[in-house]
Amino acid sequence: MSRREGITIEKDTVTRKSRRIPAKGEVLVKVGDLVDPDTIIARGLVTNPEIHEVKVYIQLGIDPEQAMRYMLKKEGDEVKMNEVIAIHRSFFGRSTRVCRSPIDGTIEAFSKTSGRVFIRGKKIVVEVRAHIPGRVIDVIPEEGAVVESRVALIQGLFGVGSEKTGILAMAVNEPGEPVTTDAITEDHGGKILVGGSIISLEALRKATRMGVNGIIVGGVDQKDLTNFLGHEIGIGVTGEENTGITLIITEGFGTHPMDDGTFNLLRSHEGRLACIDGTTQIRSRMLRPEIILPIR
Amino acid sequence: MSSESIKESYLIIDINNSQTKAVLIEGTGGAYSVKGIDEAPTTVDTPTLDVTIGVKKSLEGLGQAIGEGPWSLEGPSKNHRLLCSSSTSGGLYMMVAGVASKISAESAQRAALGAGALLMDVFSKDDRRPPYVIVERMRSTKPDIFLLAGGTDGGAVGQVLDMAHLISDADVRPRFGPDFRLPVVYAGNVEIRDEVKGTLSDNRFATRAVDNVRPVMERENLGPAKEAIYDSYMEHVIIHSPGYDKLLGWVDAPIIPTQAAVGKILYAYALERGVNMLAVDVGGETTDVYSVYNGVFNRSLNADIGLTFGICNVMKEAGVKNVLRWLPDDMSEGEVRNIIGNIMIRQPESLTPEEALVQQAVAREAIRLGVEQHKGIASRLKGVSLRRDISNVFSQALESTYLDMMNTRVVIGRGKVFTQIPSAEAALLILDALQPEGITEMRIDRLGLIPHLGALLALNPEASKQILSKECLRMMGTCVAPRGEARPGKVAMSVRLTKSNGAIEDVISCGELKTLPLGLGETAKLDVMPERRYDIGRGRGKRLEVEVTGGDLGLMIDARGRPLEFAKWGDKMVEWRKAVGLDQALR
Repeated sequence: MSRREGITIEKDTVTRKSRRIPAKGEVLVKVGDLVDPDTIIARGLVTNPEIHEVKVYIQLGIDPEQAMRYMLKKEGDEVKMNEVIAIHRSFFGRSTRVCRSPIDGTIEAFSKTSGRVFIRGKKIVVEVRAHIPGRVIDVIPEEGAVVESRVALIQGLFGVGSEKTGILAMAVNEPGEPVTTDAITEDHGGKILVGGSIISLEALRKATRMGVNGIIVGGVDQKDLTNFLGHEIGIGVTGEENTGITLIITEGFGTHPMDDGTFNLLRSHEGRLACIDGTTQIRSRMLRPEIILPIR
Repeated sequence: MSSESIKESYLIIDINNSQTKAVLIEGTGGAYSVKGIDEAPTTVDTPTLDVTIGVKKSLEGLGQAIGEGPWSLEGPSKNHRLLCSSSTSGGLYMMVAGVASKISAESAQRAALGAGALLMDVFSKDDRRPPYVIVERMRSTKPDIFLLAGGTDGGAVGQVLDMAHLISDADVRPRFGPDFRLPVVYAGNVEIRDEVKGTLSDNRFATRAVDNVRPVMERENLGPAKEAIYDSYMEHVIIHSPGYDKLLGWVDAPIIPTQAAVGKILYAYALERGVNMLAVDVGGETTDVYSVYNGVFNRSLNADIGLTFGICNVMKEAGVKNVLRWLPDDMSEGEVRNIIGNIMIRQPESLTPEEALVQQAVAREAIRLGVEQHKGIASRLKGVSLRRDISNVFSQALESTYLDMMNTRVVIGRGKVFTQIPSAEAALLILDALQPEGITEMRIDRLGLIPHLGALLALNPEASKQILSKECLRMMGTCVAPRGEARPGKVAMSVRLTKSNGAIEDVISCGELKTLPLGLGETAKLDVMPERRYDIGRGRGKRLEVEVTGGDLGLMIDARGRPLEFAKWGDKMVEWRKAVGLDQALR
């Protein structure tokens, strides 16, 4: 069985990338627009995962079930940091105790029985960029757009790291050649490097130090990748690693000369833009890492 | 024609994420047999998005294999009764909640797992997470069904209602179809059913109340909750998967979750034989463990612990050193790590000898992890006060878990890892992973039909149990293994196996693994006399006479000690393999 069965390699094809934000927002492009990888397609606000719990009843010095009576804000109301959200006056107004919001945010929930309020932080701005150069062929209302581009497309077998772009540079001359530390120089900063059969841990670390954006290579030792990431790879769902570099392996773990077709296709794009994404999902609804080489 | 000679015919299909497997079972006069098996890729995902296409292909394949057509132009042939189990879309995802984590929430957990669920989270009033984290977790984790328990009948009220309010506040949405109502099964204090239904009854929830999973502290009652889960699965979950609406029109009984079908038939098997049983089902992504001890059924599930998609996670959870101990010394850690990584990213249909060896090593660890987790599920009810006296202070009866290998009569292995290797490899895998003690039958699901027979159980229990025993569960052999630390160079026990054609006597040294000839299904009288440090089931140094049954490997005698200590025997691995007939070197 071919070790790359089911893996896509297209020399010249048209790809359509759906670029969406994970919430409703504003779409900043229109059909027919030409976009660059850095063009912002849509911008929106997403829910802040930070929630603060405020024990209103303690701050007011009352029983939990009484807290409802003294609330000034209701669920859904926006609040500012230190804004009074509940007030309790006693002794004909001579004694006043207040409960203030610890953050800027929104009243998420109020528990009548426990006298607690949950305040969620202000929404976070999210943007999605085009990632590939091309033309907008469709707009997804309030979410994003579909960008079409003529490209060469290669899927890897496994990757780590997120979307990156850069000029493609060859780090080796042959598909069976390993990537050594000597092959990586300062000139490779901001580029996407193409290696041969394997990249060592030392070479990976040097590439990160040199500011290389991404590496495409036949293989890597699983142990080296574990050490590079700083943790064992458990489930095969990747893409959010905070390594500063995106790594895509095209053949597998260990030493594997890169497939000739893949290597030659990459070499034919040397000096041109490459858009890569290491995001991988090894389970049902499989997702493989992707190398997109735009064709002008 | 007498009713006994009427031919009965069942087409049974199990649909998992990758394969749709069909089997035809026929019987006349109470004697049933498997007429044919075929499988086709499952077609529930893109681009096909219709599960019935895979069903049709598997039935057409079955028709070609047996020379008759279980598939007609309109659908499955009406000459057979059609039954189905399914675990597509990853199976049945559930969240459960209760009042006390070790009491009602644990009972609810057992009910959900017993119904075949993949448990996403367990919530309770004594949860260490603050309420807002619980709300956030409930909101972001979309289950298929939510099971709420809590309070004995006539017991806790406020805390159960608090939990119901929490579910309502979190606005938990179902995994499929955000606009559909989330099925909630309430199996707590029966006296507050109306209040719970009132809290969880608007257009966001479809709540049904059933008998309490913990009506009194001393007793669990999981049956009604499990049945309600099956009903909710049929009515609210499975219909959202592509093509199941059509499939539902074809089947002659409700579709049940695959893991539920497996649990049902294994439970029936153990009850019928009156034995304690432990079964492990090692898949690509998950490892399930099923047990029946003293008539109590339990199932546990280790998600992401498997042999393809989950293989790296086994290495992560078990530690690479624990995987390496099952492999020859000349295999380096780097080589093993690369093989494991490649099995995960490629999921190859066939394995090289090295890959198979590594996968079997990982399987041993996956099973070990699964059984360790199972001990927590298969445990005595918490919250029940125990009276200890001098007579039972050392008794197993007061152990927190039911699981006791010495009192396990049958162990069963299920999954491709057992069926794609020779019997001797499979037997060794079970021996190493489960380390049975005393006298234990070792069987594997050779045909991969346990889910099908579980689906058939309700309709024809006789056929189901008959085929399970006769055709499905292949006997590897009976294992004789004394409990106790093995001491190199010392004698562990002497055995005498008396068969119809004569007797075999042998003295077994510590560290030895050997087989004695006893044909498949053949029975013989076994007389074991352990040395004074070892226990074969009657106590240290006490003789045991028992009838044993042979299998593919005859009678297996394992004197490697319990627990198996590798530091002591690591260099004997090749010798052990030779003892079970695996003459070739490890690699």
